[in-house]
Amino acid sequence: MTDYRDMWQDLGMDLETHDLLCAALPQSFGDIYLTQENRPEGMAFYDFVVSEIHGIRPAELVKLKEDGGKVFGTFCVFVPDEVVVACGGAVTGLCGGSQFWVPEGEKVLPSGMCPLIKASLGAHFGKTCPYFSVSDVYVGETTCDGKKKAYEILGADKQTYLMDMPQMKRPQDYEKWTGGISAFARMVQEVTGVELTAEKLGDAIHLINEKRQALARVHAARKADPLPISGKDVLLMTQIAFFDDPARCAQMANALADELEARIERGEGVFPKGTKRILVTGTPLAIPNWKLHHIIETSGAAVVCEEICTGTRYFEHLVDESATTLEGQFQALSDRYMQNNCACFTPNPGRVEDIVRLAREYRADGVIDCNLKFCTLYDVEKSSVAAALEQEGIPCLALETDYADNDSEQLRTRIGAFIEMLG
Amino acid sequence: MLGIGIDIGSTATKVAVLNEAGELVRTEVRPTGFSSVEAAEGVRTLLEEDGCLAQPHAVVATGYGRVAVPYADKVVTEITCHGKGAARLFGGDGVVVDIGGQDTKVIKLAGGKVMKFVMNDKCSAGTGRFLEIMADRLAMSQTDLARMAREGTPTPISNMCTVFAESEVISLVGKGEPRENIANGVIESVVARVATLVLQTPGSPYFLTGGLCENDYVVERLGAKLEASVTTCPEARYAGAIGAALCALELG
Amino acid sequence: MEESKLPSTFEEFNDARKASFMKVKEFKDAGGRLVGFLCSYTPLEIIDAAGAASVALCGTSNETVPTAETVFPANLCPLVKSTYGFALADKCPFTYFSDMIVGETTCDGKKKMYELLNELKDVYVLHLPQGQQRAYEADAWYQDVKLFKEHLEAYYDIVITDDDLRAAVCRRNRLRQALLDLYGLQKLTPSATTGMELVSSVMASTFSFDIEAYAAQLEELVAKRRAAYDAGERPVGADRKRVLVTGCPLGGVMNKVVKTIEDNGGVVVCSDDCSGERTSSMMIDPEAPDILRAISDRYLQIHCSVMTPNDGRMENTLDMVERYHADGVIESILTACHTFNVESARMERAMESHGVPYMRLETDYSTGDVGQVETRIAAFIETL
Repeated sequence: MTDYRDMWQDLGMDLETHDLLCAALPQSFGDIYLTQENRPEGMAFYDFVVSEIHGIRPAELVKLKEDGGKVFGTFCVFVPDEVVVACGGAVTGLCGGSQFWVPEGEKVLPSGMCPLIKASLGAHFGKTCPYFSVSDVYVGETTCDGKKKAYEILGADKQTYLMDMPQMKRPQDYEKWTGGISAFARMVQEVTGVELTAEKLGDAIHLINEKRQALARVHAARKADPLPISGKDVLLMTQIAFFDDPARCAQMANALADELEARIERGEGVFPKGTKRILVTGTPLAIPNWKLHHIIETSGAAVVCEEICTGTRYFEHLVDESATTLEGQFQALSDRYMQNNCACFTPNPGRVEDIVRLAREYRADGVIDCNLKFCTLYDVEKSSVAAALEQEGIPCLALETDYADNDSEQLRTRIGAFIEMLG
Repeated sequence: MLGIGIDIGSTATKVAVLNEAGELVRTEVRPTGFSSVEAAEGVRTLLEEDGCLAQPHAVVATGYGRVAVPYADKVVTEITCHGKGAARLFGGDGVVVDIGGQDTKVIKLAGGKVMKFVMNDKCSAGTGRFLEIMADRLAMSQTDLARMAREGTPTPISNMCTVFAESEVISLVGKGEPRENIANGVIESVVARVATLVLQTPGSPYFLTGGLCENDYVVERLGAKLEASVTTCPEARYAGAIGAALCALELG
Repeated sequence: MEESKLPSTFEEFNDARKASFMKVKEFKDAGGRLVGFLCSYTPLEIIDAAGAASVALCGTSNETVPTAETVFPANLCPLVKSTYGFALADKCPFTYFSDMIVGETTCDGKKKMYELLNELKDVYVLHLPQGQQRAYEADAWYQDVKLFKEHLEAYYDIVITDDDLRAAVCRRNRLRQALLDLYGLQKLTPSATTGMELVSSVMASTFSFDIEAYAAQLEELVAKRRAAYDAGERPVGADRKRVLVTGCPLGGVMNKVVKTIEDNGGVVVCSDDCSGERTSSMMIDPEAPDILRAISDRYLQIHCSVMTPNDGRMENTLDMVERYHADGVIESILTACHTFNVESARMERAMESHGVPYMRLETDYSTGDVGQVETRIAAFIETL
């Protein structure tokens, strides 16, 4: 393994604390991932990335900065990567997915808040994540109360650009978001010093579309029975896609998809045919949050689809590539991003429709609606999801958890009972 | 052959043995104590002494300590077991309310099968543990708590959190509030939390299983809160173990 | 007109509740229009101009929280749960008889609650921007306010003219001035009335059907208190510590926070919640060339922690501390209100950097923590 300590030092990180984090990850990754049988060979790339998760990609980003590029750290799938890529910048996901960062976050935030937000601020203020340290600008958005106010705290410490997200989906809200993307593009041009042209943005749109299609291919392979890949492995691929270079991400996902499609042809699977199939919906599962998938897949079922931000919401819907002016492209971007059915919208009937549609497409036997503790949006929307699924005759289990491991036995009981209930 | 069900709960370990005809031939309840491994070993000794293990048999373990039973042929979650056990005791259609030591479960049954279930949040308000802690704090047994509660007038205990509720009880004691009234408040608080959970999955009739089924006052108050009759019986305490024993018979 | 029906559970109500149901029923049966709302951002002049009475429906009682929890998570703001619970249980006459309820996209809890409330009542949701400073936010809000006006016009089959709006502005300004004069009494040292009287008067103003009559009543109250003060009456002892209360709406925690402060050697000299002093002080020019724009601009400037950035709130609170000679600031936060909760760290910093004692209090509508709250408030006042 390469030694990245100098780089981390240069990034101003807290090396001692960071060492503790680095020491814990291989164990948990090994227990959760490397114990699986018959994994696709294509997962080797992702295992490698995890083994150097705070080294290899941050080093690339440092290099990009040395060459004059800028790094934009984002927390939400509403932020249009295309604009940054078109200006020669890189986007990196920043959502914190580990309990490790939570106590540090609680120094600046109330404890009664979503662990993702606490972990993210903890990673920033604790200086224990190179993706935060390497970012030139953070990009926030007004999706939920917690993040909205947390960005004010982050913004006091590093340049943070905030996008005012529409809260509804009326025609005028699509227009508003077009305006929001256009304002974002002005900021990105200022920061990168690169002038955005329709040609550059067109290329970036094409590139990100290819990435989406590649991710979609891997996900589509999960419609098969037996499953050619575990839910855990697909989750890992999706999580890493938030950090990776988009072209390489597409290439690796396509290679994995080739392998999975060959497996399907051979009827080869990682679980016995007929294993109960679960669709997961709810709040994001940021790396290294693998708890839910691990419990499901060691309780006799398999995850076949994630209707979450680190799942279908990340790659579904392509941006229309026919526009030739920036204005038209901003609109095309808005049209695509506004199709995301996050619970931050009101009303949000699209999410329930998505869940039902995906449950059918992926032949799910049941749905697990799991949200992070203190996420008001998803917590309140649960009753609507449950009612709709009941009407469709799809069994549904609602869960709430955080990043701590102390509820894993309770979760195991609930999930185990749910799987038993499925027959 | 015998179907043996072992339900290792957080407070008590319950055992039920069914004969080939499915008749309940033996029940046992004992405190789980500190270690569920030891509780499981204790049950093994008991079953050996009874000669149960000498006959052809199958063992199913359930409850939070279910993985601590090395001689079990299968583990099944307590939700499925309580559903099955209640269906056997009360019939296959209705809503099972199980007030356990650390979890309260509400299980909707149709045709004897679990259709849906909800459980309490991570915390212990509205569980048996809540009553246990409050009874301890008031220096009385749970039976006395129920008896006293019947004589008291309600003093609201409104805290959702057991730890805070305990300090609320302490401050009521400090104010000189009669123990009867506090006891009444404690039971009302548990019943209210349970009722709120039940009403997320309403549907009658209601069956109460778990350790509180012999607590007449709780049964009565729960019925009043739900505005419906709540049925229970002494065997309902073993519902989880009976369900596990039924699962064991199916293995045969 | 068809006579309106009473809830099926009416007979179980106590006499006071029965009476208020009958009162609202009479109003409706006489052809009265009734619009419910929750938030200070709701442009009330438009409802006034539609000839409708507007009533605040914010739940302020723990009574209906358990009812709401059969649908909502326990871990949610009590105001949101209480409001929904009243609607679900048919226990609030205003909610029950309102023609429609006006919601707004302020916080996560309310935003999602309206979706479920919409299953029980007609709900119209205003799209509130999440900030006030970006140029397009004021424009977008103006458009939404306009849509709201059109919605009311279509709903009641009426036309709302600019003159109607200007007249409504004049009436609202008068009420605001009356409230401001009431606050003015508290600037005196010692203050001329209690915080309980102040805060409950402000609250009452949000559900009086006839705002002119209520303004007149307030003017009278202010004159009376002022005269008594001038005559040497001192209802509030000079030794009382002067407290400014900020944070979440106070309606549901009046006794727990305001009364407890005043029972423990303090007096509330100013309130800085959403219907507090600053909100009352924001007048609208009735002669403004575009009256609808003047209305929408006024409302968007309200300081609520749902806005980002919201630096103006901290600055204003500091200014109030000075004007009202406050000895300390208590911030009252309702459980699970993320925006005020997170912002409280900034409020604390703003106060402490100016040497203003500050205490943050998180509570809900239940009586469970009354003892703890009292201890904390009493201890805070002792430190002043």
